[in-house]
Amino acid sequence: MLTEQDIVARIHHLTVTRLRVWVTQGYIKPATEAGQRFSEADLARAALICNLEDELGFAEDDVPVLLNLIDQIHGLRSELRGMVEAVDDLPPDVRTTVRLRIERGRQG
Amino acid sequence: MAEDLYSVLGVAKTANADGITKAYRRLAKKLHPDLNPGDAEAEEKFKQVSHAYSILNDEDKRAQYDRGEIDASGQERPQQQQQQYYRQYAGGPEGARYHSAAGYEDISDLFGDMFAREAAAGGRGGGRRYAMRGQDAQYRLDISFLDAVNGTKQRITLPDGGTLDVAIPPGVSEGQVLRLKGKGMPGMGEGPPGDALVEISVKSHPVFKREGNDITVELPITFDEAVLGGKIEVPTIVGRVSVTVPPGSNTGQTLRLKGRGVKSKGRAGDQMVRLNVMLPETIDDDLKSFAKKWREDHGYDPRRTLKEQA
Repeated sequence: MLTEQDIVARIHHLTVTRLRVWVTQGYIKPATEAGQRFSEADLARAALICNLEDELGFAEDDVPVLLNLIDQIHGLRSELRGMVEAVDDLPPDVRTTVRLRIERGRQG
Repeated sequence: MAEDLYSVLGVAKTANADGITKAYRRLAKKLHPDLNPGDAEAEEKFKQVSHAYSILNDEDKRAQYDRGEIDASGQERPQQQQQQYYRQYAGGPEGARYHSAAGYEDISDLFGDMFAREAAAGGRGGGRRYAMRGQDAQYRLDISFLDAVNGTKQRITLPDGGTLDVAIPPGVSEGQVLRLKGKGMPGMGEGPPGDALVEISVKSHPVFKREGNDITVELPITFDEAVLGGKIEVPTIVGRVSVTVPPGSNTGQTLRLKGRGVKSKGRAGDQMVRLNVMLPETIDDDLKSFAKKWREDHGYDPRRTLKEQA
């Protein structure tokens, strides 16, 4: 697990102040037992927010909107993956039925 | 050798630093891997764009590149490429904490896409056996009006020389697509073949017109048939039938022949016979003198309601 200092040290342009704002805003949710502890995912997420603001030039107000959409996409993808895996465990003829049904749905 | 760095960003060689940053941001917002999870093409483009920007955004490197001292592939890998994208974690247990719990009702599109991608990746993944359904084949078939209303069997000759027998159900309509299960392209692995989709085109008929399951025919009758009535032969979609025209029939009146329309899915439409009173082509002296005499004694005003209303 990483500390606040580790995160700031590893991301160019990131300050402790900025990181704390993001934690307060709930953009990043470190584990809190025995002080704040950050994971690699939290680190990558902080890098993403930095990237959105500094490199891509998104306004600070845009960031929560983007994070919300990104989180929705990953939530959705995770549910879909679960469904795909569930379908994969079915017998071949049932898989085919499911696939045909999906294709029919896509053709409207 | 990579493409020209200026054209990667879509800017002129004379663009200033501000213009280059703007162009980069516009492209990067569209292509950023965390904004396009699962899109390998966008990721590849994003790498090119980031790389071009890393050189053109640096005054020294840009000057070197302009002088031809470094080529478009650059001397050093740009730092961007070492970056760990958030999406690499987002799908894992750590990222799951951030997943939004929004409810998704209409996911079949996405699910279908993902399914296709999983299937496409199957060859490399190993272990999984994939069966892909064959593609649907599309055909077009021109049929006559009567074949469309009565149903028929037709044989299509395929481009590869094979044939396809198509049973056309009664009442098929213009533009309707018949699906022949399993008559399309063969499937992959255990996958079933696709379907043949036959789009029907119906030629029009000089006499019969169709509205839903009803057939309309215009029937010319003589002046004396209109006055006296009588039995008259009328064409229907299955042959001629005899129809009783009542005395005093007029142009515009319709006779309904129950059940003589299109028999589709157990329900039969009707045939509507629209009467059209026709005077003889030449009016002879007999008819003239009769009309004159008749007018003197039996004047009538068919335009009374017309005058009242307008």
